[in-house]
Amino acid sequence: MYSDKVLRVLKRKKIDIGDRIQITKDNKTFEGILMPRIEMGDRDSLVLKLDNGYNIGIKFEPSVEIKKIKTEWFIKGSKGKEVETIIFDDKLPTISIIGTGGTIASKIDYRTGGVYASFSAKDIVTQIPELKEIANIKAKQIMSIMSEDMTPERWKGVAKAIGSEVNSGVKGVIVVHGTDTLHYTAAALSFMLRNLPCPIALVGAQRSSDRGSSDTVMNVSCAVNFVANSDVAEVCIVMHGSMSDDYCLAIRGTKVRKMHTSRRDAFKAVNDIPIAKIYWKDKKIEIINNNFRKRSKGKVRVDDKIEQRVALIRFYPGLDPEIFDYYLKKKYIGFVIEGTGLGHTPTLGKHSFLPKIEKIIKKGIPIIMTSQCLYGRVHPTIYHNLRELSKRGVIFAEDMLPEVAYIKLLWILGHTRKMDKVREMMLTNYAGEITERTEVITGNDEDGEY
Amino acid sequence: MENIDYKKIDLKCGLEIHRQLDTKHKLFCGCSTEMKGREALTEVERKQHPVASELGEVDVAVQYEFLRDRTFHYQVFQGEDCLVECDEEPIHPLNQEALEVALQIALLLNCTIPEEIHIMRKTVIDGSNTSAFQRTMVVGLEGFIEVKGKRIEVTHVSLEEDAAAIVEEKAGNVVYRLNRLGIPLVEIGTGLLVGYTSGEVEEIAGLIGLICRSTGKVKRGIGTVRQDVNVSIKNGERVEIKGIQELGLISKVIELEVQRQLSLSKVEKETRTALPDGTTKFTRPLPGAARMYPETDTPPIKIEKKFKQEIKKKLPEPWTKKLTRFKEELKLSDELANQILRSDYLDLFEKLTKKFKTQPSVIANVFVSTLRDLKKRENIPIENLGDKNFEELFELLDNERMVKESIPDVLSYKAKKHEMGISEIIKKLGLEAISKEELLKIVREVIEKNKGQPVNKIIGIVMSQVRGKVKSRDVVETVKKTIGKIY
Repeated sequence: MYSDKVLRVLKRKKIDIGDRIQITKDNKTFEGILMPRIEMGDRDSLVLKLDNGYNIGIKFEPSVEIKKIKTEWFIKGSKGKEVETIIFDDKLPTISIIGTGGTIASKIDYRTGGVYASFSAKDIVTQIPELKEIANIKAKQIMSIMSEDMTPERWKGVAKAIGSEVNSGVKGVIVVHGTDTLHYTAAALSFMLRNLPCPIALVGAQRSSDRGSSDTVMNVSCAVNFVANSDVAEVCIVMHGSMSDDYCLAIRGTKVRKMHTSRRDAFKAVNDIPIAKIYWKDKKIEIINNNFRKRSKGKVRVDDKIEQRVALIRFYPGLDPEIFDYYLKKKYIGFVIEGTGLGHTPTLGKHSFLPKIEKIIKKGIPIIMTSQCLYGRVHPTIYHNLRELSKRGVIFAEDMLPEVAYIKLLWILGHTRKMDKVREMMLTNYAGEITERTEVITGNDEDGEY
Repeated sequence: MENIDYKKIDLKCGLEIHRQLDTKHKLFCGCSTEMKGREALTEVERKQHPVASELGEVDVAVQYEFLRDRTFHYQVFQGEDCLVECDEEPIHPLNQEALEVALQIALLLNCTIPEEIHIMRKTVIDGSNTSAFQRTMVVGLEGFIEVKGKRIEVTHVSLEEDAAAIVEEKAGNVVYRLNRLGIPLVEIGTGLLVGYTSGEVEEIAGLIGLICRSTGKVKRGIGTVRQDVNVSIKNGERVEIKGIQELGLISKVIELEVQRQLSLSKVEKETRTALPDGTTKFTRPLPGAARMYPETDTPPIKIEKKFKQEIKKKLPEPWTKKLTRFKEELKLSDELANQILRSDYLDLFEKLTKKFKTQPSVIANVFVSTLRDLKKRENIPIENLGDKNFEELFELLDNERMVKESIPDVLSYKAKKHEMGISEIIKKLGLEAISKEELLKIVREVIEKNKGQPVNKIIGIVMSQVRGKVKSRDVVETVKKTIGKIY
């Protein structure tokens, strides 16, 4: 947006964005189309698109002469339609796509550089013509937010939307979502969608859809194939398996994490093997982990009761145990600690966590222990200090990822606050979040190839 | 070819000159701009997709068909490519060194510098860029240069990222080397050149090249220069010829294109690629090339007045002044001064003349004649000779450890077996200069053995014994002096 000073002058001269204008400054005249001001840079500089396509900025000063020549473009944002169904072929399965926003649903206006959220079945199909060979698509936009703005409250909305699509009889559902918190949503849905009869794929993009190099096309194409044709009735993240456009991996929603800020293959399976490899070109689905819930006939039950007063606390050397007092004052009723190694927190002097932990558990507030190593399992009895924690009632959460344990605790506390019940549920495997044994080869391997 | 009547055919040309900048890092990341990589570290395979909204009126289906049939393979080189080239990481801030060189060039070409530079994305669909667009920014507008009293318009100077270099295309699989991608490139466009001959157009291109070179920050050698020329003749369409790699080919390309156009009944508007022999081949016209939209990953760059003044202060010596200085101060002939000014070794020449007392004309001759002769006559791989080798050579000359007559032999040997140092080579070849005392000793012996022989004969015999180890002038003088004393 331009500064008020510039906007006033433009208004007085009846110049709109998209008008062809002439700007004269220091005896030089430039002609071009007035562009909107992009977010960054000097708000006093007029952005002019020259006839050779380049934009330049000309600093506005009172001595600058601006002359309108004509209106060249009408510029306004476009908006996607609410629901749209595209039927290609009666014989093909029908799947649903639910839009929530994120990089994958962002689209740039090529003339202005402005980014508009625009998502419709038609948009996707136009971009990915090959989809017509895979499935009929029903599309629904339920929100338009970036990943970081996703909240536990919004997970409920997503779960309900999936529930109604699944129970309307589609073969599978895709959720289009920003990537940053994609694995949190995946874990939340894994717990909320009970008796899931069909595949649910969460898909994002690391390169926005307006780019010719976007990973959207392959990710969505593989996800459509996966939910339409696989036998895997689980919530999975389906994204690039390598830097190349060769295959996607379907990774269980409770065993996956974004492990890179920008690479296409940012999502890695942790303490688990991805369930399937989905080849893009020949549309082959290869199951590489047979331990999954099979497709069934029933209806999904959406169990979205959650409690939100739970904190995830990452220990680091020097952390003051009084941090717990803040949360207690705010009436928090559950804690997940990201401890070190096998699940440690300090036991010496004023940094010791033991007094606080003892006090909190005595109040009937559960404390769950996970590891900031991410890979591997916590253990309550190997070291003396671990035994001290365990003795006081800390629940050691096996090989659950800290975020997954946090989401699981939200969900458990939505159902019970009884300590014994919480412990029992925490250590019960609901959605593949706990494995009994850890395979030697997991996503931790060097190049992540399967 | 000489008989083209340029007035009658109304030749109109436009030039677009691209030069790689010799900066430490690439334009948007910390990778090296030296393309030394031989073995690829790994290969990344990608598809690219048509992007509907940006194309507007252009047929998406055409693009879809084109891209559907192509898979791109990118070879990644250690130290020369990173996640940025792989389109796996957002760009880093703009390379300030490259920006400064580009602004210097724009100022030398009398351009107006925008107060705010906007980085744009130019759509490319041939796969030569992993992001499917090329980042480019205009850093200078509406400049000019003077050629023989006439004003040549410079429409723009842009700073952009170079594209990946194609290795091969086979059955829909296109292989690119990634290490060229992201090397800073300046693009200079001229206005329409009307009323010039093909030779004069080539001269204008040469001059623009000289101006770029004067910054001391443009790369030299094969592949670092690419020149495009638009050619049209009376009543014909404009034909664009891309990728002329050698300056000396421009006039030939124009002449052949004029002949080609004269031979056609109707000239189509099209893009052609220049081949090494000066002929051209038709290139598939690709849509969307001019489609540009803002790069939103990085902010526009504000050019403050103070920054601009600092760059003005740092502007290099104009080439005209340099030419005069070469003639007057370095005592080079007009021909030699012009040759070295246009030589790839200009920067090294200037460095060496400052450092060593060997006559500048001797140094210049090594670069413009000796090396050319070694290459042309004996096909010696002179590209193996590095700056350090020349420094060692002239240091040995300065210290009278060798004589200039042995330069060709030494360089030839060095270029062929490049692991040995120059001083080792002169020892090995027996070209180590001998002292005045040693020379005198030899002269005395020869005179003793050949008493009564004429002076010229004596000189000849001495020469045959000390060739390449002592200056011939010294031989003559020593013989004459010694004979006088003995007889």
